[in-house]
Amino acid sequence: MSRGAWLISRLLQIVPTFLLIGLAVFVLARLLPGNAVMAMLGDRGTDEAVERMSHALGLDQSIFVQLVGFLEGVMSGRLGDSLAFRIPVTRLIGERLPVTMMLTGMATLFALLAAVPLAFVAALNANRWPDLVIRGIFQVGLSSPIFYVGLVLLTVFAAWLRWFPVGGYGDTLWERVYHLFLPAMTLGLSFAAIVMRNLRASILGVIHAEYVDFARAKGLRARVILTRHVMRNALIATVTLVGLQIGSLLGGAVITETVFAVPGVGRLMVDSIFARDYPVIQALTLVLAVFVSLAFLVTDIVQMWLDPRVGR
Amino acid sequence: MQHKTMLTRRTMLAATAGLASFATLTKSGAADAATRGGKLIYARYADSLLLDPVFTDANVDIWVSSSIYETLLFPTDDGKDVKPGLATAWALSDGGKTLTLTLRQGVMFSNGAVMRASDVKFSLDRARNPKNGAWPDMVGSIDSIEAVEPATVVLKLKHPDPTLLPALAMFNTGILPEGPYMAAPGEKDEDKAKAFAEHPIGTGPFMMTAWQRGQKMTFVRNPHYWGKAADGQPLPLLDEIEFQIIPEDATRLLKLKAGEVDGTEFVPYSRVKEMQADANLRMELWPSTRVTYVILMCKDKLKAGADNPLSNKKVRQALNYAANKEAIIAITTLGLGKPLQSFMSSATPLNIMGGPVYPYNLAKAKALMAEAGFAGGFEASVMMVAGNQDSTNNLTALQQMWAQIGVKLKIEQLDNPTNVARYRAEDFQMRHGGWTDDIADPSEITSYFAHYPSVHSLHSGWENKKVSALYLASQEEVDQTKRRAQYKELQEIYIDEAPILFLYETPYPVVWRKAVTGFVQIPLGNNLFERTIK
Repeated sequence: MSRGAWLISRLLQIVPTFLLIGLAVFVLARLLPGNAVMAMLGDRGTDEAVERMSHALGLDQSIFVQLVGFLEGVMSGRLGDSLAFRIPVTRLIGERLPVTMMLTGMATLFALLAAVPLAFVAALNANRWPDLVIRGIFQVGLSSPIFYVGLVLLTVFAAWLRWFPVGGYGDTLWERVYHLFLPAMTLGLSFAAIVMRNLRASILGVIHAEYVDFARAKGLRARVILTRHVMRNALIATVTLVGLQIGSLLGGAVITETVFAVPGVGRLMVDSIFARDYPVIQALTLVLAVFVSLAFLVTDIVQMWLDPRVGR
Repeated sequence: MQHKTMLTRRTMLAATAGLASFATLTKSGAADAATRGGKLIYARYADSLLLDPVFTDANVDIWVSSSIYETLLFPTDDGKDVKPGLATAWALSDGGKTLTLTLRQGVMFSNGAVMRASDVKFSLDRARNPKNGAWPDMVGSIDSIEAVEPATVVLKLKHPDPTLLPALAMFNTGILPEGPYMAAPGEKDEDKAKAFAEHPIGTGPFMMTAWQRGQKMTFVRNPHYWGKAADGQPLPLLDEIEFQIIPEDATRLLKLKAGEVDGTEFVPYSRVKEMQADANLRMELWPSTRVTYVILMCKDKLKAGADNPLSNKKVRQALNYAANKEAIIAITTLGLGKPLQSFMSSATPLNIMGGPVYPYNLAKAKALMAEAGFAGGFEASVMMVAGNQDSTNNLTALQQMWAQIGVKLKIEQLDNPTNVARYRAEDFQMRHGGWTDDIADPSEITSYFAHYPSVHSLHSGWENKKVSALYLASQEEVDQTKRRAQYKELQEIYIDEAPILFLYETPYPVVWRKAVTGFVQIPLGNNLFERTIK
């Protein structure tokens, strides 16, 4: 199979995945007890009022009728209105998706900037003090709950030192980067720890491989050996890991966005589940599924570049 | 509404409740003339959903929408009566079956259009349309509405209705302009409401100019607002309010301490003392209609078919006596709550105020259990909304207290819609609950708590014919003394029958940067910002 054909087949795989996810979320959301009207009214409103409002929102129709409506909508690009906010889902998600993208993007960047160089330092000094210090720090990062790390960073760097704002989101690009700095650090911390440990182990695995010994015997300079032979091979497993971690990063975004009052889709997802806001839950799941699928695709492409055997 | 009167009323309120900060309130009088303009940033725990008076469902909408839409009458600041609003005078005639309202002169909508009697008729007709939203019953006694331009509206009633005046001060009867509303896109009323609420037009002190959902909402002063400050200058005093949405309690308070926001709501009780001790902040505790209780299932059998000991009145009384409310108030509210004196709060009109009910008495509780044939106790379950700290505190305390009378309590944590679904299906044995009134009248809470045909008395299945009859009679009783007597009897029966565990009422905890004054939160919850300054 040529690389082009491989890429096309990978893209086509996304379609059935997508349909299955859409169907599963549609059914699962409706299997949860209660509906949007109950979530909104709580204890108030008579049963007649609940019935009347459920009818107005089409929630009293059978699940099949609702499913047909949903599929028709998806085919024609209409994802419906939010039951809670009463505005089109596309607008709601459109306003908030870029926020989460930026947050996870910054978190990934921070994580890689910290993890990759430190992994090399740790691996090249394996079991000596720099390695122990680096591993120790990241172990703490890995084992601290995001919620707690977030509050500690907020208290120290925002409330005491006043270096950063206490949560929220700005209007200009610079303000947004500034507002998202601490949340991205929080979100990136455990990610960085995972990447660092994994990459360190890969480097240690590669550094004693025969082809590295051979390169050394050939008289290649240490820098060339490190970048061309060690790094390239060690990164293959790490790239896979980074791709797989995008999903959990989005999970972590839910908590980070809540602690830092960042108006992204993570918080919207949780709010929508509690509100039984089916159109938002469905659309968001699909959007996030696309996001994760694309992340996997990019991972595959990067891997193909790093390791010519992939895609052959 | 003269400022002086308001000050007196507020001062009295502070004195009686002993809660609101006296110094703050007296300061606001002098400040009116001194400071105007500026932007206030207020952090809210959740965003609004839909700013339409009729289709709105949630407190997150109701509590801020009074800044945009106004009603013919306003609830008084103590939440127990009504005062002139968009109507300055009203008169009942025809044996209480005709209400003639005189509209305030010179009221304009935020788009500059004069409010007409036809706008009032239009808004009230929307509010009472049985197809619209959850609230049409609140104005269900209106038979027809006649608009006599320029400034008179006549309501013909199906029967005399003592709840009508407070209903005309309730959010769902807010007045909006007929022309722009009808011009909004959409076929059905609900579609028009959605479109109109994107850029709402009302007569209130502020108008919404921007809304990024889940992030912030901007209100700017309505230049056409009719209200005047004590110095004769136009209200509101602020130029702008920005509502920021910050769901996490700890983050809201950090943001306040860092000076990034000027005030915030729903301070956790555990942190009230810390806020009170902070020299840069001022903690306000507003008397509220918020009551906390546990619903006790009164049917003989539970949904699953098991026998239900709680169907025995003596068991319900025993559970009430065995609960040490003072201790629970100390644990959960850190002493900020007050034990209930009825099912309704002391800020609800016609509360009998006979002192705390079921004072802690373990011996009496044990005796009642034995009389009911449950000397050995039984196992019971209670459901609560998962993750709610107050409910957790209350129920774990009850778990220990009730163990003394042999009741083993199992706590079920459920997410909110699941909890509500089981509540409405009457599939529970006990349920932790909370309630806030929407209307300055006891009829709303009573219809839910005590009048069986409405919602089976909080879906507990408790039915008392006498109470239902008293409630129905009170709904048409215009003689205030007789109505008070009906409510007294009704509450006495309710307390004796104990279909709920009576817990406590709590104030609304709001905290501000020291410079901010003049905010009011009435017991119904409405946030009033027109005299706020910073």
